[in-house]
Amino acid sequence: MKITFAKPELPGEGSLVVGVLDGRVLTPTARQVDERTGGALTRAMKASRFKGGKDQTLEVVAPPEMGVSRVLLAGLGKAKEIDVLQAQNLGGNAVARLGRAGEDKLLSIAIDAIEGCSLAPAEFAAQVGFGARLGSYRFDKYRTKEKKEDKPSLKKIALLLADHADAKKLYQPLDAVAEGVFVTRDLVSEPANVIYPETLAREAERLSELGVEVEVFGEKQLRKMGFGALLAVGQGSERESQLVVMHWKGDKGGEAPTAFVGKGVTFDSGGISIKPSASMEDMKWDMGGAGVVVGLMRALAARKAKANVVGVVGLVENMPSGAAQRPGDVVTTLSGQTVEVINTDAEGRLVLADALWYTQDRFKPRFMVDLATLTGAILIALGDQHAGLFANDDALAERIAAAGSATGEKVWRFPLGDAYDKQIKSDIADMKNVGGREAGSITAAQFLQRFVNDVPWAHIDIAGVTWSKKDQPTVPKGATAFGVRLLDRLVAEHCEDD
Amino acid sequence: MDIRFAERPPPEAPLLAVGMWRDGRPTPALAALDAGGGIMAAVAHSRFRGGEGEVLALAVPPGLAAGRVLLVGLGVESAFDDARAARLGGAVMAAALEAGGQRLSVCLDLDGNAAAHLALGMSLRLWRPPPDLRSRPAEDEWEPPEEVVIAAADPAAAAASWRRLDHLADGVLLARDLVAEPGNRLGPEDFADHALALPGLGCEVDILDEDAIGEEGLGLLAAVGRGSARPPRLVTVSWSGGGADAPVTALVGKGITFDTGGISLKRGDDMWEMKADMAGAAACLGAVRALAGMAAPVNVAAVLPLAENMPAGGAMRPGDVLYSCSGRTVEVTDTDAEGRLVLADAIAWAGARLAPARIIDIATLTGAVVTALGRHRAGLFTADNALAERLLRAGEAVDEPLWRLPLSDAHDEALTSEVADLRNAAWGRVPDALHAARFLQHFVPPRVAWAHLDIAGTALAEEDWALGPKGPTGFGVRLLAAACGAV
Repeated sequence: MKITFAKPELPGEGSLVVGVLDGRVLTPTARQVDERTGGALTRAMKASRFKGGKDQTLEVVAPPEMGVSRVLLAGLGKAKEIDVLQAQNLGGNAVARLGRAGEDKLLSIAIDAIEGCSLAPAEFAAQVGFGARLGSYRFDKYRTKEKKEDKPSLKKIALLLADHADAKKLYQPLDAVAEGVFVTRDLVSEPANVIYPETLAREAERLSELGVEVEVFGEKQLRKMGFGALLAVGQGSERESQLVVMHWKGDKGGEAPTAFVGKGVTFDSGGISIKPSASMEDMKWDMGGAGVVVGLMRALAARKAKANVVGVVGLVENMPSGAAQRPGDVVTTLSGQTVEVINTDAEGRLVLADALWYTQDRFKPRFMVDLATLTGAILIALGDQHAGLFANDDALAERIAAAGSATGEKVWRFPLGDAYDKQIKSDIADMKNVGGREAGSITAAQFLQRFVNDVPWAHIDIAGVTWSKKDQPTVPKGATAFGVRLLDRLVAEHCEDD
Repeated sequence: MDIRFAERPPPEAPLLAVGMWRDGRPTPALAALDAGGGIMAAVAHSRFRGGEGEVLALAVPPGLAAGRVLLVGLGVESAFDDARAARLGGAVMAAALEAGGQRLSVCLDLDGNAAAHLALGMSLRLWRPPPDLRSRPAEDEWEPPEEVVIAAADPAAAAASWRRLDHLADGVLLARDLVAEPGNRLGPEDFADHALALPGLGCEVDILDEDAIGEEGLGLLAAVGRGSARPPRLVTVSWSGGGADAPVTALVGKGITFDTGGISLKRGDDMWEMKADMAGAAACLGAVRALAGMAAPVNVAAVLPLAENMPAGGAMRPGDVLYSCSGRTVEVTDTDAEGRLVLADAIAWAGARLAPARIIDIATLTGAVVTALGRHRAGLFTADNALAERLLRAGEAVDEPLWRLPLSDAHDEALTSEVADLRNAAWGRVPDALHAARFLQHFVPPRVAWAHLDIAGTALAEEDWALGPKGPTGFGVRLLAAACGAV
C-alpha cells in the first residue's frame, strides 16, 4: 500500500473520501462535491442515519460525470474533539470500507482545514495516512487458493491537501513506525514451524541492513555465560535456544542506553506442565514481546531515531520431552539466584529473569522495559482493553501510561509490594516460579523484579492485547503489535533530543 | 477485658510490655526498667532486632517486680502513625494470649492518641468466632487478660480517644461476628434481626419483607431470593448525626447470607466459605454502628439487600428475564452472578428513596478480583476522581488498602443481551470484576457520585494477621467509617 500526498484537486478516478462534521456540516471539499453533483450528498444524508458523528461513514455512488466512482462521507464528530487517534481511525475505516469493497485503482482522501480543530491539516493528513497504512495490514501468504476478487486490491492512497509537502514530511517517521508494526505482526502471525528461535534470530539479524548492530548467542555460548534459567526452558525442545542483542546507536553523545527486553517463547506447549489442547494454537504468539522489540528496533532504525537503544530478546521453545525440565527442578539463574520450578508453564519469567539480569549487567541502562505475554491472570484482571503495567519507578510508569494513552495502546498500572513477594517463597530455593492463582500477574512481576537489580524498570504484560479477536480501524483481526507504537513514542518523548 | 490508661501503670503486673526501636534504642520505660542491663543483655543473645511487631517474651530478670516481660519491636521511629499503633496493639495482644496472665501493663511511651489506637488493635486482635458454636472451648483458645493498663503521656486524652475508638472496634467485631455465623444460623431475616438488635444508639431501622420488596419493584432481589425457603429482606439502617440539611451517604452492602450459586451451582470444594458472602452488608452495618456510637456529625444509611441464593424448584433459571427496580430488564445468564443483581436493585432503590449525595457499595463480588489483586488489596471502581481519592486515602490510613481498576463502557458489549436490556454475566476467561462494576454503573442514578468496592479477596484472612486471627477480617468497617468522616 503506497501512501502519497498531493494537491487538493478532485481526482478523475477511483473513490473519494470527504469529511462531514457533526450535525451534517459539510467540509469545503464535501460542499464542492455536493454542488458538482447537484446536491447528491445532502440528499443521501437526509435519507440515512448518517449525522457526521465520529467514526460514522456513508457511501454514495457518484454520478458518471464526477469521474470518481464512489464518494465516502466520513463523520468527523465535533471539530474541537478531533484528535490524532481519531484521524488514524478515519484512515483505517476508509481502507476497511473501500479497500476491501473492491476499490482497486485509487483511494483519495480530501483533507480540509477545519475551524476549531486543534490538528493542522498537514498533521491531520499524516495521521490519516498512518491509520490507513496500519489498517491495510493483512497476513495472507498461506492462502494459496483465495480468489482474486476476494483479495484486497487497493494499491494506492492519495491524501489531498494544500500543505501536501509538509504532510509528506510529517508522514515519513510514521511510515517507519508502520513498517516496524508490520514486522511485528508478521513475526507474531507466523506459525511455530516457521518461526522458532533460530529463524526469529535470523529475522532480527536483517536489522543490520538498517545499521542496527545485532549479536546472536547460541546454546553453547549461553551455557558458558550462565543462562541457566533460559536454557532450562529450552532444553525440552529440539530447536536451539537463542539470545539476540540489537543495538541502535542513533545518539552520538554516548549516553547510557535505554533497554527493551522481550519474551520470545516461539511456541509454548506448557512443557511437562502441559496446557489443555483447546486454543493451544494461540501459543504461537507467546513470542509477542520479542516480536514487539524486533519491530520497535526496526521502527527506530528506519526513522533514524536520535537515541541509544538496546533490544534484547530471549528465544526458546517450551516443549515436553524426555529431556525437558520437570516440576520440582531447581535452576541457577544468570544472577546466581536459584529458582524452584513448580510449574513448567510459568516459563516466560525464567527466560526474562536471565535476559533482564544480562541487560542491566552489561548495558547499565537508564531504564529498561520488558514486554511479555506473561500471564493468563491478566486477561481476567483487565480483559483486552488495557495491558498490565508494573514498575519500580513512578516517573517511568507515568511516562509509559502517557505514551500509551497518546498512541491508543493503553496500559493500567498494578501494585507491587512485599505482601505479594512473599507468595513466591520456596521451601528449598531462593524463590519458586509461581505464587498461586491469586494476584497471578502481580506475583509474576514480583519474580521479575528480583532480577532487575534496582535499575528503573517497568514490565508490560501484553497477554490480553497481543492478538485481537475482531477487526478494529487500525488493527485488523489477528496480531496487533501492541507496544511498538507505545514504546516508539516513549523513546521519541524521553530518549531523543533534537 | 477492661482497658484503662495511666501515666505509670503498676510495674508489678504479671505481664509487662515494653518497647524498643528498630535501631536498638530502648524507649524510656524500658531504659528505666532495665537499669541493671539484664534485659538488653538477653536481647543481645537473641534474634530480636526491634522490627515492627517482633515480640520477645522474657522470663522475669532478677530484681524486677513484674512476672514476665514482653519486649515489643516498634519499628523505625520515623512515620509512626495510628495504623502502626493499632498493629502493635495486635502484636502485644497475640503475645499476651500466648504468655497467659490476668493483668497486663503496656508501657511503650506513646502519646494519648497512639495509646488509644494501641487499645483498638488489642481489642481487634482478641476477636474469636461466636463461642456458642462450640460445646467447650478449643484447646488453643486462651483466656484474655482481665485487666489491661496502658501507659499514656496524657491518660485523660487517651481515655477520651478510646471512648470513640471503642465504638469503631465494636463495629468491626459486629461485622466479623456476622460473617462468622454459619448459613443455618444466619438467613436474611436473622440478619435483619441483628440490625434491629443494635443497642440504642439513635439509628433508625427500616425493613422491607418479601411482600414489600415485591411492591417496591425490587424484581432482581426478589428473584435471587426465590430459591430459598427463607425469603429476602431489604434493611435500611440510618444514622442522621449531621442534621436535616447534611448530604446523605448511602452504603450499599451485598448480603447473600449463603451463596450456593443457585441453579448455576458452585463446585463443592470451599463452598462453605460462601457463608461469608454477606461480608459487604456486615461491613456497612458495622460502619453505621460505629459512626452512631461515636455520634459522628454525618448522615449515613446502610442499605442491605439480603437474600439466600439456593437451587430449588422455585429458583430463578439461567435465561430468565427480570424487571429491576430501575425499570431496566436483565437476562440472567449466570445465577451465580447474583450479587450484582441484588446490588443493582438496592443502588437504584437507595438513589430513588434516600436522595443520597453519594453511594458506596461494597461486596464480595467476583473471583476475578482475587485473580487480579490477591488478598492484600480490594478493587475500587468509580468514575468520580474526588471520591476515588477520598477512599484510597482512607484505605491507606486504616490499613485497608484499595487499588483502582478501570471502569469502562467498552464492557457493554460483554453485557449485551439478545433479548433484554442487559445480561448479568459473560462466560469464559473474561474480566468479570470489570464487567460486574460496569453492570452496576447502569443502575446508578444520574448526578450521584458512586464507588464500588470488590472485597472478595479481603473479607477473609487465610492466616492470623496483625489485627485478627484467621477468618473474617471486618474489612471495610474502618475504611467506610474513615471515608464518612469518623476518626
